[in-house]
Amino acid sequence: MTSPDLPATLLADLRDIQPPILAGLLIGGCLAKLSRVLRSIGWRGGARRRRVPSEPAIAGGTGGRPPGSALDAGLGPTQLFPLRLRRRLAMGMCVFELCLGLALVATLLPVGTHAGTVLRAPRAATGARIAAAAFFLVAAAALAELRGRRPDLGCGCFGDLSSQPVSWRSLARALLLTGAALISVETPALYLPPWGHGALLLLGIVCGELALIAALSPEVSEALVRLGYTDPCELRQLPAGRTLAALRRSRTWRKHARAITTEMPIDMWRELCWRYVVFPCCQDGGQAEVVFAVQLKRRRPAVLAAVLPLPPGWPGGPAASSPAAADWPRREAMQLSGSAARLCNYLAVSSWRARMLDTRPDGLWIHAGWARRKRPKCGTVNAIRPRSEL
Amino acid sequence: MVVQRGDLACCVRCAGPAAAGRLGRRQLLRAAVHPPATDSSARRGAAAAQVAGATGAETDDGVRRAAGRAGDPGVITGTVLDTSPQIVTLYGPGGERRIALPPGASVWKGRRADPAALESGDSVVVRMLPGRRSVADRIWANAGRVTGVIMELDRESMLVEEGRTTRRQAVLIPPHVMGRLQVRFPRLEPGYLVDFIGLRGRGYLEALVPATSQPAYRAAEAPARSPLRGHPRDRITGSAVWHEPAGPADADGVRYPGLDPATACREQPLAGSACPPLPYLSVGSLLKVRNECTGTTRILPVSGCATTAQVFCDRCVTCGTSPRGRVADLPMASFVALGGDLERGCFIATVSLGTLAPGTPSRAAGPS
Repeated sequence: MTSPDLPATLLADLRDIQPPILAGLLIGGCLAKLSRVLRSIGWRGGARRRRVPSEPAIAGGTGGRPPGSALDAGLGPTQLFPLRLRRRLAMGMCVFELCLGLALVATLLPVGTHAGTVLRAPRAATGARIAAAAFFLVAAAALAELRGRRPDLGCGCFGDLSSQPVSWRSLARALLLTGAALISVETPALYLPPWGHGALLLLGIVCGELALIAALSPEVSEALVRLGYTDPCELRQLPAGRTLAALRRSRTWRKHARAITTEMPIDMWRELCWRYVVFPCCQDGGQAEVVFAVQLKRRRPAVLAAVLPLPPGWPGGPAASSPAAADWPRREAMQLSGSAARLCNYLAVSSWRARMLDTRPDGLWIHAGWARRKRPKCGTVNAIRPRSEL
Repeated sequence: MVVQRGDLACCVRCAGPAAAGRLGRRQLLRAAVHPPATDSSARRGAAAAQVAGATGAETDDGVRRAAGRAGDPGVITGTVLDTSPQIVTLYGPGGERRIALPPGASVWKGRRADPAALESGDSVVVRMLPGRRSVADRIWANAGRVTGVIMELDRESMLVEEGRTTRRQAVLIPPHVMGRLQVRFPRLEPGYLVDFIGLRGRGYLEALVPATSQPAYRAAEAPARSPLRGHPRDRITGSAVWHEPAGPADADGVRYPGLDPATACREQPLAGSACPPLPYLSVGSLLKVRNECTGTTRILPVSGCATTAQVFCDRCVTCGTSPRGRVADLPMASFVALGGDLERGCFIATVSLGTLAPGTPSRAAGPS
């Protein structure tokens, strides 16, 4: 390669690499939008997905996830249209991006495998590239309009990653891609250059262009932040099933497992970085409850436990006269004075009253619900054995 | 399993009696598994008593306001039975009460009014003078509030959805108020958020006062929150708002926007906003709420989800300007007891998490 040929070679290589780069960006943008939809319908993704901070939870979503209409929610130039058109437009744009990207890739196929070979479908390739140029030009215009009318909205080009307000960088990127599509209109098929200076030059051009696009993309910083981000434990959404699995792997569980009388917990709640799990158990021949506190960590969570006897009148608790049973929730509530006590007292007394309504005329208790049906008697072989022994 | 979605709603008022007893026992179980540092089995009871001492009404200046305790006469709610220029007779949960109306007592009934505006049948919230059991300081009559998403709309009325477990609220907007409301709520269209204070009628609210400014986005388009650096703070300052209690269990608690989504919340909150995220708690957790305007503090149990609190990423400007975000949704009586004025809609509040019990573990603390 001689120096007089260098500019021409540079230009030729620059034109050659545009279709695959444009196709990659279009397909990537479509996949990013689709991932938003998949999350909205409950797809959790892999381990890396769970490290991403919570998505925008939108009305109608479940578990903090956006609903099925998340494709058009809150991002992109579709927000300039009436509400009833937004979802269709967003879906149409996503499909168009995918088709355009696939068309750019498919029309790159050469007839042969050597340099200078012609395209298998030159007219289709030209059409796809002109369509790509038109698409990016329209996108640039739409972003300019969005920036003027709704400066608080992100462009939505790459789904949730494009949540930052539209800036000059997004506009410049759209114009750059328009130019890239235009200069690639008449390029021949892509070929692998011979190993050596030619390959290095091509690789350098590709890297340079990708770096330029990255510099003009506000999504890159957002993606890097998300890759290295972990929600603090107070905000981490950890499924209850994982907490139970971690609990059953722990030494604390094995210590109490023989006394536990049901397989599933009777209560579970969370406060900050801990999730509390309550099981009925046997203690000194009577019914009790063991409460486990499981730290919300993914690896080696701390597990603490304590055993509390059941109050009189509770299912399986010590037999007590009705006044004593009525007094127990009051005594419990006295330990939490103020409004907490009022709430607890109300709840406990209402629960006790509900059980009183189930009293038979002959004085036997009929405990509706989980308690009587699921609790075996202490001292029987019904205690749950550790999973390792099963 | 109790915690399975749908078996037990996270909100107290939706829970059945059997589940309600279980919710009431949570704090005891938590105190048992996280005893204080000087733990011994003999001292657990004392530790629980210390927790008890920390709960309830207290003020930072050491003056225990009468408004904060259980059954306290500082704030009473009830229905007006009879009224005269000096005395108003109420019927409330504690029975019939006669409240004196001193010359300085003010009444709000859609607007500042004379005590003579009170009528039989009015539903009132009365704040007593400090240290006086039966002398009214302020009275709010038929105050109501609707906070939620507009579902249907016509010229002078709308249906507003406040959450999944509550019925849609009908809101009437008198023509002479429409202009005032639209200054702060310019987009009265389906999907947008509203927060109105007004007079409660039979099955509807007559909107009179905008409680805040309308978010620019629809409820379904709340922006995603940005990643949080480090741990959220134990004390979070923001705006505390009020709601009309849905039942006796809801009347003594606080609705909290950051309930754990994994443990069954039928009222999925409309989360996701630019506001700082709140750490996850559950129903029955204790929350210390401090009114930064008056210094009054109360410890309240979480009783349910504040469904729309997180999408209102607003500020309270009652006494100064609060940081963005609503941190607590109080029932009317608790709001008034903490020194809030219902017609203002909010006060600047600081909620404290995880420091209420001596045995509460720190974030990452715990044996490895």
